Amino acid sequence: MSVDPALVENGRLDPLVRRLVAEVLVVPIEQVTMSRALIADLGAESIDFLDLVFQLEEALGKRIPFTRWQSYVTERFGAGDLSQAITAGVVRDFAECETRAE
Amino acid sequence: MAERVAITGIGVVTPIGVGLDAFGHALRAGCSGVRRISAFDCDGFDTRIAASVPDDFDGTTWVEPRKMAKLMSRSALFAVAAAAMARRAAGLGAEDVDPCRIGVVLGAGGMGPTDNDLLATQARAVIDSAGPSGNDWNVPRFARAFRERTNPVATLRGLPNLAAAHVAIQNDARGPNSTITTACTAGTQAIGEGLRLIQRGDADVVFAGGADATINPVSVLGFSLLGTLSRRNDQPEAASRPFDLDRDGFVIGEGAGVVMLERESVARARNAPVLAELGGYGVTCDAYRITDERPDAGGAARAIRLCLHDGGVTPSDIDYVNAHGTGTRMNDLTETRAIREGLGSVAQSVPVSSTKSMIGHLLAAAGAVELAAVIVAICGNFIPATINLETPDPQCDLDYVPGSARSGRVDAALSNSFGFGGQNACLLIRRW
Repeated sequence: MSVDPALVENGRLDPLVRRLVAEVLVVPIEQVTMSRALIADLGAESIDFLDLVFQLEEALGKRIPFTRWQSYVTERFGAGDLSQAITAGVVRDFAECETRAE
Repeated sequence: MAERVAITGIGVVTPIGVGLDAFGHALRAGCSGVRRISAFDCDGFDTRIAASVPDDFDGTTWVEPRKMAKLMSRSALFAVAAAAMARRAAGLGAEDVDPCRIGVVLGAGGMGPTDNDLLATQARAVIDSAGPSGNDWNVPRFARAFRERTNPVATLRGLPNLAAAHVAIQNDARGPNSTITTACTAGTQAIGEGLRLIQRGDADVVFAGGADATINPVSVLGFSLLGTLSRRNDQPEAASRPFDLDRDGFVIGEGAGVVMLERESVARARNAPVLAELGGYGVTCDAYRITDERPDAGGAARAIRLCLHDGGVTPSDIDYVNAHGTGTRMNDLTETRAIREGLGSVAQSVPVSSTKSMIGHLLAAAGAVELAAVIVAICGNFIPATINLETPDPQCDLDYVPGSARSGRVDAALSNSFGFGGQNACLLIRRW
């Protein structure tokens, strides 16, 4: 899979992440904002993160082992309250981190 | 005296109609749901016909929240829709019954993915990893190709126990939950086991039935290679012809049937609408061969007799038998013997019909949808026909209600299911 260079610019990732989150969680895209927590506010459950990472892989043309997502979240938030912390912003940061690492 | 078990709601998703009303009308009219296969390109297949649920059926409208639908296989979605229809018909409110007293028992088929999109993904990954000679399979390369294309969530669609899990989630049914995989017998057996759950005192309400959706290249080829499928491709609607001299096999179908079984006292307390009584259940195994039935039909006959005994009725009480009637040369012959053995002299006069002639063989869902056909007969005062029965087989010499439906009062009926592996089950249904 080839990567569209436009996808990796900061400004273009947000709309992608918003769209993917809205599709995966089956919520209106207007509800996907930086301040809304994926688990607490938008009803995400554990398997939705598997789905989300897969959709990001497809969109970015990158392989993102799920363990990298889990490590990223744990490093950032440790044992904190993940249900409040995982927002569209966190997903965006993770996706950027992965494309830079490649 | 033991409490009776009522059937207070039914939902069906079938090739001839979705919902009990549409299904009943189609049965009375003798409609066939068999068409040329459209789910995949069947060019070159020996069997190119099947009975599919209409394309315009959208099961996701019955799923709450809608997001859960992405985790459902096609058959799980059918089951959830059928259960929702049954619940709506029964008028069961969220507060009516303690969730811990609501159980689910479903018949299911297949192990692993049977949905066409998942099979296609696997196939592409295998093609990508074929070795140079075409005969070897590079498994590490397959793993990379498969991993790239496969959403992990999709794997959940392949587990047969999850249809019952989804029905439980949708209905907050926290009581006993199980899945029965006795193939052609599964739906009947699931309903029988649901009856036992209530009789044993383990539940007050049970969603019981079956769902199956295996109209895919691998399953169709599999049944075809065994010689069990009709090849009457040029006349799809005439292909399913149980008990007819020219029958040449069954027609594979898909769909779901779910009934709501309810303890009498609970049904009365909430003024539930009662369709009929589930009055008895008999279950046996031939312990003979995997595809051949015992020539003396002993196992099947015994299931019938056990069912009569369980319901406290005699053969002369039976007004109608919904046969397993697949349309294979062997089943129809053996079943004729089983009905004679099981009902004795009454067999000569009691009407027996195979609704598979119209609906096709819905495998794990068959028994459940056929129970719905019996309910329609009792409530509608008619006996469904065995359509396509044009030339009687001299060895199948019972009254199979050939051609068109017949008016008639049905107070008590039996429904038979006999599966591969020699697993036999029979249910007794009575006017309330």
